[in-house]
Amino acid sequence: MDGILETKDLYFYYAGSTSGALEHVNIKITKGKKTAILGSNGAGKSTLFYNFNGVYSPSLGEVLYEGKPIKYSKKALRSLRSDVAVVLQNPDDQIFCSTVGEDVAFGPRNLGLSEKDVAERVELAMFQTGITMLKDKGTLQLSYGQRKRLALAGAIAMKPKVLIMDEPTAGLDPQMANEVMEMANQLHHLGTTVVISTHDVNLAYGWADEINVLRMSKIIYSGTSEGFYSDIKLVHTAGLMAPAMFSINKNHCDMNGVEEAPFPTSLPELVSKMSSERPKSGMMLILSITDGLTEDEMLKATGPLGGPRVGVYGTAARKAVFRGKLHADYVFNGIDNCLLECVNGKNSVLCCEGRMVDIVTDRIERLKQFGTSVGYEIREV
Amino acid sequence: MDIFETMDLFHSYKNSKVESLKNINIKVGKGKKTALLGANGAGKSTLFYHFNGVFKPKSGTVLFDGKPMEYTKDALAELRSDVSVMLQNPDEQIFSATVEEDIAFGMLNQGMVREEIDARIDEVLSMVGMTEYRMRPTQQLSYGQRKRVAFAGAIATHPKVLIMDEPTAGLDPQMAQETLEIADQLHIGGTDVIISTHDVDLAYAWADEIHVLRNGTLVYSGVSEGFYKDSVAVALAGLMPPAMFAIDSNLTEICGIGNGKYPHTRAELLSKMAVKDTKTGTLYGIPVDDYIDQAMIDCVLAHAEEGAAVGIYGIQTRRIAYKEALRLDYVFDGMENCLIEVMNGNDAVIYYDRSLSDMVIGKVVKVSGFGLKIPFEVRGGL
Amino acid sequence: MIDFSALPIIQQRVLLLAVIIIAAVGSILLARIINDRRRKAKGLPSGKRGGTSEQVQMDSLAYGSRMVSWSPLGKMFLALALIVAGLITKSALVPIATMTLGLALMAYSTNMRIPSILALAIGEAMLIMIIGCGMISIMGNPAEPAIWNAEILWFRIHMTAASFNQAWLVFFRAVAGVTLMLAFASSTPIPHLAQALRQMRMPKEITEIVVLIYRYSFLLLERMQTMYSSAQGRLGFNGFVRSIRTTAGIAVGMFTSALEMGDKAQAALDSRNYTGEFPIFRTPKPMNATWVAMPILLAVWMVLFGFYTEGLIDFNVIFFGGA
Repeated sequence: MDGILETKDLYFYYAGSTSGALEHVNIKITKGKKTAILGSNGAGKSTLFYNFNGVYSPSLGEVLYEGKPIKYSKKALRSLRSDVAVVLQNPDDQIFCSTVGEDVAFGPRNLGLSEKDVAERVELAMFQTGITMLKDKGTLQLSYGQRKRLALAGAIAMKPKVLIMDEPTAGLDPQMANEVMEMANQLHHLGTTVVISTHDVNLAYGWADEINVLRMSKIIYSGTSEGFYSDIKLVHTAGLMAPAMFSINKNHCDMNGVEEAPFPTSLPELVSKMSSERPKSGMMLILSITDGLTEDEMLKATGPLGGPRVGVYGTAARKAVFRGKLHADYVFNGIDNCLLECVNGKNSVLCCEGRMVDIVTDRIERLKQFGTSVGYEIREV
Repeated sequence: MDIFETMDLFHSYKNSKVESLKNINIKVGKGKKTALLGANGAGKSTLFYHFNGVFKPKSGTVLFDGKPMEYTKDALAELRSDVSVMLQNPDEQIFSATVEEDIAFGMLNQGMVREEIDARIDEVLSMVGMTEYRMRPTQQLSYGQRKRVAFAGAIATHPKVLIMDEPTAGLDPQMAQETLEIADQLHIGGTDVIISTHDVDLAYAWADEIHVLRNGTLVYSGVSEGFYKDSVAVALAGLMPPAMFAIDSNLTEICGIGNGKYPHTRAELLSKMAVKDTKTGTLYGIPVDDYIDQAMIDCVLAHAEEGAAVGIYGIQTRRIAYKEALRLDYVFDGMENCLIEVMNGNDAVIYYDRSLSDMVIGKVVKVSGFGLKIPFEVRGGL
Repeated sequence: MIDFSALPIIQQRVLLLAVIIIAAVGSILLARIINDRRRKAKGLPSGKRGGTSEQVQMDSLAYGSRMVSWSPLGKMFLALALIVAGLITKSALVPIATMTLGLALMAYSTNMRIPSILALAIGEAMLIMIIGCGMISIMGNPAEPAIWNAEILWFRIHMTAASFNQAWLVFFRAVAGVTLMLAFASSTPIPHLAQALRQMRMPKEITEIVVLIYRYSFLLLERMQTMYSSAQGRLGFNGFVRSIRTTAGIAVGMFTSALEMGDKAQAALDSRNYTGEFPIFRTPKPMNATWVAMPILLAVWMVLFGFYTEGLIDFNVIFFGGA
């Protein structure tokens, strides 16, 4: 398993301070995986990210990108920063232009690409973050959620290999937070290595493949979520608490003498595991959307299944449903809700973009471990 | 009796045709833990700024403690010493250069006597656990520390009502729990606490009553579960159901456990889902005044040797526990965790402030009411 | 091999001057490099990239100083008195003495560990003064005999014994002044100073603005640094024109931040019952009799010392040997 970004014995001190912002940090971000860095609000995490994209250079130790130490020449940094994009917590810290379209173009233009390439990238990035209709709007007039998406779009436009997001859901209400994480998952599915930092253990639990826990400038754990939360003392030393889903699973298993593994990381998995008697699972019809969804197609899908609930997954699908003025029961958190319907013995319909169907089928596969086998059909529309 | 009431409240910002609040008729109950819930931009802060008179309604009235608000200088000054607001971003409300000065700010404006102020500064700093930071300059503090200073400053004036805007945002889970514990203690001490948030899990676990805003209108007032039962309304409001609610309603649907009760916390959920006749441990409660004597500790150690978990609950208890360096398993969320340990068949010991006795007993009774009876014994103390 | 003494006088002096300048600049740079290496070897900060600004460092220094609880007005009066003493007398020994006193105070204030930020500040002052005093030294009274007379392009250099001495006097006065003010600044936090000014009956509007600017400048500075770092990450500084555009973007961002902060501050101030005046809980030590008398006595002593030692030092003798 290759590490795409790595640090070896990294120490970083701010000028004029004798205590380190980072001390003896050895971290390995595995290529193609979803990594979460857990830790409380403090300079530790952003300092680490700035070391990753070369804005800061280590006081001691080294940072490796794709196995080679980072060089700090102008040319090398240029190439590094188009591969490693950092999105900060506060969107206002990274918006530099007066209109949305211009700000998304900021990064690609700085790369020196042709106007045609820039325009292409901007369109794609705005589409993926759902802000295409805001292209000519002034950045000062955007709401917080829109600004956060703009900041993300600016980073995506660089077509980075590694996308690092600092507290991506901070300050966002539940639906927006869900959307942002969906976008992160989509990018990951398309090949980007995604790293997020957060102190929301529940967020990281359902999402990350690997976690690193940063506490008082040091890494105190690297590995799987379950490995960390099983060590209660370590969790408390880190100033964190076990995620709700982990605790409930653990408590339920302790009480009923059931094995803790496999560990459910989403609601359908938890409910499936905790139910002693499960009804026969429902069917899921996955509508793979390529360009738009009409009312007819929707009726054709829902009719034979007897009025199932309809869920939506992904920005593109959401847009298609919105444009077609179609009714959806679960506009947000579509996968979980549809799977729950199935666990409860009912049928469901899930609309999602063609490219993302694999994500859905992976989740259905995973659910099998917890006792529910959902039959599904993929229909292209 | 309501602490706040609005009648046909309309509000729009200066030079704007858009109404930020439309026809709000809200009744915030006295003595209840209230949450104002809503997506970003729903109008929560606009509303609570009406409660302390910073915003005036375009039309309609706002009543505080039954009396309509007056917007004269003196009336507002009095109102604001009764109604304290703690903002989400501490930097927006910390003006002074040192911690001590900032906490004194509100009190000096109120005209309190210096000796009183001096004592009160020590008191609130100890409540939030920042005693050694009294003389520190504010810009040297971390985010969490600044939030605590802002909190201390807000409660220093002995307000009748404390309004907290996203009090746990940006805090790590343990500090967030501490903040809520302090809020709980204030509530018991007679201060009405209102939390404005979009964190549905927080509101679900903490609040007695919620008021949901959506695009400037009040769409729901009442008990949490009443709102979340209507998933369409929840989605329209830009929210999602809390994890506990979703888990419970799904499990109830599948397993058919319908006692009509809605668990808001993990312990309550487990109690509801527990198999009948599960063997539980015993919860031992030790009320603490301002010291923990050796006898209590020995008693606890005896149990602990047999594998009992030890937890704490309450500001005073926490302070003493740290000072005495007691052996603890659960520094945060002590009640929850100890109850869960007991339900798993282990014994547990919980130290708590004597003033919180009713609350502790109340929680035990509540959790027991969900299905699994929790044996509870009070030990030690005088 | 160049025989130095065989060179014409002009060239000797030019060479000498050049050597002094290079030595000064070089030693500062060398000190910086050595310092960096030493700290790196010890595993301590080299922190050239990123990091806290000078303002934040000065502020931490001030709050951590051993002299922080002395009367702010008193400290200011002392520094000013000593500077004035140096200006009154014509003896170069007075500013040298007051500079030493300033350094001693600085050492005491920082617990014998003068941080590089202060040392560099003094070094920079010296560098700037070398240029200025150099100008003074070569613009002597044309009526007096010249030690060095030359014409460079359209400019006439006329260095006399008097102008040379004058240049050195000005140099030491300036550096002494900088040292004393730095000693004061690094031991007095701005809010204390503002309160002291308030005691001096300066209008409260001004002192409050001072404190507010102080408080918000940290926030804005932090914001600016973050924006700068994120702009670097987005390659905003790749090239001159781009850098200008990006800087403009940052400036706009700062401006809007400031406006936003102002708005939110207003609501927060109202909520906290702001009466229009920032109340002060802990007033600084007032200036008592000791603090008035001591600086005056010291200054007077310095002036007398100056009169006594006037003319004792002739820089011409030191540098060029013989009159």
